[in-house]
Amino acid sequence: MVKQFNIGYELTGQVLILIWKTYGYILRGHIDWTETTRQAYMIGVKSFVVVSITALFTGFAMSLQISRELVLFGADTAIGGVVSLALVREIGPITAGVIVAGRVGSSVAAELTTMMISEQIDALKVMRIDPVEFLVVPRYVAAAFTIPILSVYAMAVGLIAGVIIAQAAANVPPNTFLDSVRQTILDRDFGVHFLKSFINATIIIMYSCAIGLHTRGGAEDVGIATTRTIVWTMTMIFIFNYLVTSLTYAPR
Amino acid sequence: MPSSSPSQQPVPPPPKRDNFEKSKEPLIQVRDLKMSFGEKVILRGVDFEVYAGETLGIIGPSGCGKSTILKLLCGLLEPDSGTITVRSNDIGLVFQGSALLNSLSVRQNLELPLRSRKLSAEEKDKIIRNKLSLVGLEDYIDVFPTKLSGGQQKRTSFARAIVNDPRIILYDEPTTGLDPVMSTVVEDYMIELENKLHAASIVVTHQYSTWSRTADRIILLHGGIVVWQGNPDEAMTSNDEYMRQFAHATRQGPILT
Repeated sequence: MVKQFNIGYELTGQVLILIWKTYGYILRGHIDWTETTRQAYMIGVKSFVVVSITALFTGFAMSLQISRELVLFGADTAIGGVVSLALVREIGPITAGVIVAGRVGSSVAAELTTMMISEQIDALKVMRIDPVEFLVVPRYVAAAFTIPILSVYAMAVGLIAGVIIAQAAANVPPNTFLDSVRQTILDRDFGVHFLKSFINATIIIMYSCAIGLHTRGGAEDVGIATTRTIVWTMTMIFIFNYLVTSLTYAPR
Repeated sequence: MPSSSPSQQPVPPPPKRDNFEKSKEPLIQVRDLKMSFGEKVILRGVDFEVYAGETLGIIGPSGCGKSTILKLLCGLLEPDSGTITVRSNDIGLVFQGSALLNSLSVRQNLELPLRSRKLSAEEKDKIIRNKLSLVGLEDYIDVFPTKLSGGQQKRTSFARAIVNDPRIILYDEPTTGLDPVMSTVVEDYMIELENKLHAASIVVTHQYSTWSRTADRIILLHGGIVVWQGNPDEAMTSNDEYMRQFAHATRQGPILT
């Protein structure tokens, strides 16, 4: 238990230092836009299909459960509002965050760990290139742009799934569903949605890079680093999601 | 009928090296260098210096701290105590495993050390092509490292290390894992580069042909200290028990396996 605490304490320190250094480079304009575009493709475009499928079926399942309960109470016109509240405030950022954490976080950790083991990071340092500027900054900037977009996209796909299920299972017309959405969702909800997905992007890239850049050893350690990244990023995504929700939606 | 196996063939004599004059100050000077990893003491007080135009061979059994010395010289590790004086910031390091960035082409790998210099694209291209031609890889400029053979990767690593014409070149096991022919090719490149660049070089190796052909002086490390130093010719005829065992690769002697 004490050992786990020390590992977590050390990793948190490494993540905070990495965030500090990364923002130092970003604020000084040290961004390699060619590499950032390549990373945006790897992180954003390549996650597009898996986010679509996940968001669609999450929307189906959620809408089915909500429709079933609200129809019992004769509140079928509120289905759109309840589905959209869940999607915009919680499910959209969480779904996109978890999927990207699994797909991108693990891949970044494995790539950087392999680079550490094969002395590629040492080679960069000898050439006086800071691995943070060269490797972390493009990945972070790319993720900070693409993950919020993916998150909004996941929310939109979930809403479309909601419209389909509400029509099929509760006989709620699309117009009624969308009217309910418009009456329920506030502008602030979109702001919180973006904030959560931006925090998710920071968690995914910073934890995966910190773990990757501080792992040494052999092939076995690549697997260990990958698993560690998944566990830490998923845990942190859920913790920070709750913290933001409690700070923005708690009853006053 | 007497015959000899390929492993018993004599190593070809070293090519004629250009004479170098020792400059007044060494480019690299190491004094009482001590280093340990946790409980394990690696270096217990190592001293040496390397002058411009000279190649120092650091030899010794596996795990004796040879590669650690190179990492200390590059600033990748901090020593526990001792002084390291490196009188140039232009350092090229050839890694044991090449350490090429697999996501970048050969050209992009060679561009990395040039990032700090304000050069036009044409100037960069000219420098890169020139260095690749030195190692015979100008036709591979847009190829990615995973498509290159081990020898080609090693030669690309050479080209990257010398792209800025460094005053100091460090080689970490440059011929380990290469076939004898490719080892000879790589050794010839090292000699050629030293003659062209007049750099101070350190080659870390335990391959006999590499240290005997490329080094002007050698130091033998054992137990974290320098137990013998001299030139390669003296090494083969030395009566020192460490050097004799290492040079003749026998089991009898103080170096435990």
